[in-house]
Amino acid sequence: MAAWINGNAADTDAAVDAAATLLATARTPVFAGLSAELAAIRAAYRLADRIGASLDPAAGDGLYAELATIAAGGALTTTAPETLGRADTVLVIGNRPWAGDLVAEVAGSKPVRGRAAGEERSVLSLGGPANGASRHVAYGIGNASLDVAIGHLRAFVRGNLAAEEAFGELAKRLAAAKFGVVIYDAGEIGEAGTEMLLGLLKDLAETTRFFALPLADPFQGRAVTQLSAWTTGQAPRVGFGRHMPEHDPWRFDSARQVAAGEADAALWLASLPSPRPSWLGSLPAIAIVGEGSADARPETAEIVITVGVPGASAGGSVWNERRGVIGYVEATGHAVADTAAGVIAGITKNIEKKGASC
Amino acid sequence: MLIRIQGGRVVDPTDGRDAVGDVWIENGKIVAPSEHTPDRTVDATGCVVMAGGVEVHSHIAGGNVVMSRLLLPDLYVSESAPNGHPFAHAGGSGSWVGANYAKMGYTTAVEPALPPSNALATHLELADIPLLDRGALAVLGNDDHLLQILRDGEGKAAVRDLVQHTVAHARGLGVKCINAGGASAFKDGVLKLSLDDEIPVYGLSTRKIMTALLDAVEEIGVPHPLHVHCNNLGLPGADDSFVSTLDAAEGRRIHFAHAQFYAYGVVDKENPLTGGFRSAAERITEAMEAHPNATFDVGQVVFGQTVTISLDILRQFAGRKGANPKKWALSAGDAEGGGVVPFLYKPRGGVSSLQWAIGLELMLLSKDPERTILTTDHPNGGVFTEYPRIIHLLMSREEREKEIATLPSVVGERSSLPTIEREYTLSEIAQLTRSGPAKLLGLTDRGHLRVGAKADVAVYRDSTDRTAMFSRARLVLKDGETIVEDGEITAWRHGRTLELDVETDSAIVKRSEAYLQDRYGQGLDSFAVPDAAFPETENFEDVACRA
Repeated sequence: MAAWINGNAADTDAAVDAAATLLATARTPVFAGLSAELAAIRAAYRLADRIGASLDPAAGDGLYAELATIAAGGALTTTAPETLGRADTVLVIGNRPWAGDLVAEVAGSKPVRGRAAGEERSVLSLGGPANGASRHVAYGIGNASLDVAIGHLRAFVRGNLAAEEAFGELAKRLAAAKFGVVIYDAGEIGEAGTEMLLGLLKDLAETTRFFALPLADPFQGRAVTQLSAWTTGQAPRVGFGRHMPEHDPWRFDSARQVAAGEADAALWLASLPSPRPSWLGSLPAIAIVGEGSADARPETAEIVITVGVPGASAGGSVWNERRGVIGYVEATGHAVADTAAGVIAGITKNIEKKGASC
Repeated sequence: MLIRIQGGRVVDPTDGRDAVGDVWIENGKIVAPSEHTPDRTVDATGCVVMAGGVEVHSHIAGGNVVMSRLLLPDLYVSESAPNGHPFAHAGGSGSWVGANYAKMGYTTAVEPALPPSNALATHLELADIPLLDRGALAVLGNDDHLLQILRDGEGKAAVRDLVQHTVAHARGLGVKCINAGGASAFKDGVLKLSLDDEIPVYGLSTRKIMTALLDAVEEIGVPHPLHVHCNNLGLPGADDSFVSTLDAAEGRRIHFAHAQFYAYGVVDKENPLTGGFRSAAERITEAMEAHPNATFDVGQVVFGQTVTISLDILRQFAGRKGANPKKWALSAGDAEGGGVVPFLYKPRGGVSSLQWAIGLELMLLSKDPERTILTTDHPNGGVFTEYPRIIHLLMSREEREKEIATLPSVVGERSSLPTIEREYTLSEIAQLTRSGPAKLLGLTDRGHLRVGAKADVAVYRDSTDRTAMFSRARLVLKDGETIVEDGEITAWRHGRTLELDVETDSAIVKRSEAYLQDRYGQGLDSFAVPDAAFPETENFEDVACRA
């Protein structure tokens, strides 16, 4: 496997040693990305606990909009297979869901299980493309933002508003569903929109079955959340600076920490594709990246270590978007020796050997 | 290493032992007294020596447990622990679970709800619970594949094969059904379901699904009987559901989960759901005495804030109105779904006081503590760390009277608890927390101190303050290794996850693959729990089927 220290090729052991030295002497290290197999994320949490680092997954705005809503009001969700199998009414909110394959699959099929089996499926959209490739009834939102439009729709569902024809009709369609599902991206509709949508679903649940199907981020955010919850009792972002896990999405935002000058070293974990942090290069950093990725090059960070890519050159447990669970993927090609989990465990051992204490 | 635990009061009801004596250990097992000089002698004078505790029903892993942490991030408190195990002081974490069970002298714990659709994540979470051996029960009873087979009348062999394959693929230790058919019915608009109500679309009933699973479990030879969560949990009149379900078992082995939540008799027959409830503990006790094929765990209520976690989506949906604080999460998942609803058992509240009394009543009325397992259905009735206090209440009438004196009069008016004089003995506590649960799970190698048992041993300083005594064991050995001394963890080790060693019929594998591909666009591989996913090379340990 390739590794570089200060732009020069190095063997992995030397890079691991250099990484351990960097982290052992750091005052406030941050771990970012975490777009990796679960074993690597697990190892990163253990290393962070050991040295008092904070962890900030790349998952982004959608994850925090979801988490904030769950903590404030809860959730009412279903899965993609249940949507495809049971839903007679599907409401697609915003533009982002149209970018994937799910909406087309929903629009091109009928429910096959439950009381709506065999019926036509009604696909509706709110604030999305008027002429999507799929058959659907589009409801525009004019100049309103999505969160305001959802609030408006909720007012119709509750009977607080009744005059406006289009939203009134949409509200009736939703209420008439036997098994309804709302597909959306929490990052697009925001925290306020997500919370308002939960309220809408809870209102609909009084008389029928209606659930949310929020799309997952592509950077393992949901897998990180699960592991973080069972490891620390808390959702990300989490920091260990005071020798106990503290959940604080604002405080442990790595971009904020770097911009404020709080962080003095970073570890970027991206054995799976992940957007490169804009701040990488502004402080001493270690990059653990997938072999063959665009960032597997000496300029990415002071210390760069390439590792196996889950599902390609390594096995690993990763988020299975289709099923909405963590699943295991085998290496499909030649498996490489260095895994991200192994490299992080090596850094941890090396730090322990150095006797570093935080 | 040869270890002698010397001079303690050894309590092992399976061997008729309750006297001062020694326990000998070698190579992780209990051995006969040796003539050799021990490598280590533990002076247990003034102590009580028992087998390690065994937990049969505690929600310690899985998607709903994760959701409970996201919903109530402040339920547990984290503390600073610079020199401890990573995360052991992180409130509510897997490490915290392992550490707190171990400190109480427990060495095995079973998660009762392993949804086959989310088996890998549940097992990964279990694997991160240190110190204990773990296990999980595969949940069946709402899956479309099973319901199709039953609807189409394919016969017992087809059901058996599917159950066998599901348990093997999910790496479960046993089988559980939760309000069988309820999740499916809920998705089709049903809000209340009883034993013989029709499950929409399938034309089945809870009785038909459950009895098919009872047959399958027996035929496969699963050591743990079918673990049943009945209909109508928590409703006045739920005692009818319990007794009807017991009758429906028709003599087959059956285990009832959290019986306390079903021991609610109707007060006002004209208004059964709104007229309140009274204890049905005596009725449940009589029914249990008439059915030696049955066991139950209690689901004792503890006063204070908690969060309820269940795959019984029907019940959790109904329970949302009582959420405290007012937030809840419900998931119409693949097959089962589930719900997470915060709940406050109000200290000195009328309803919670009666629930508290009924749980104790069930245990105190039981003539057979080995069939009456201590649980709080963690965290549904309360946190498992309250076991020592519950044991104290069982062992001391005086302690109960002190507590009852602080509670509303409904405790005496609608339960018999204040009139019960019984005080549990240490042997009975061992039956309730050791030998009973181990036998129930079919784990012949633990729950006792006979020669050949695993050297899972708890040593407690004997004290009339049973809460203090059982909260912090003086010494706990797991497989002969010391893990707790003076109530603190001294050595961190990984336990094993116990799974049923069961063969799978090749035809059902092919059929399941086709079913899953059709339904999910992905096959059995996406449901797999491979060894390679786990950080420890030997994460699982086989448990044999019944002969």
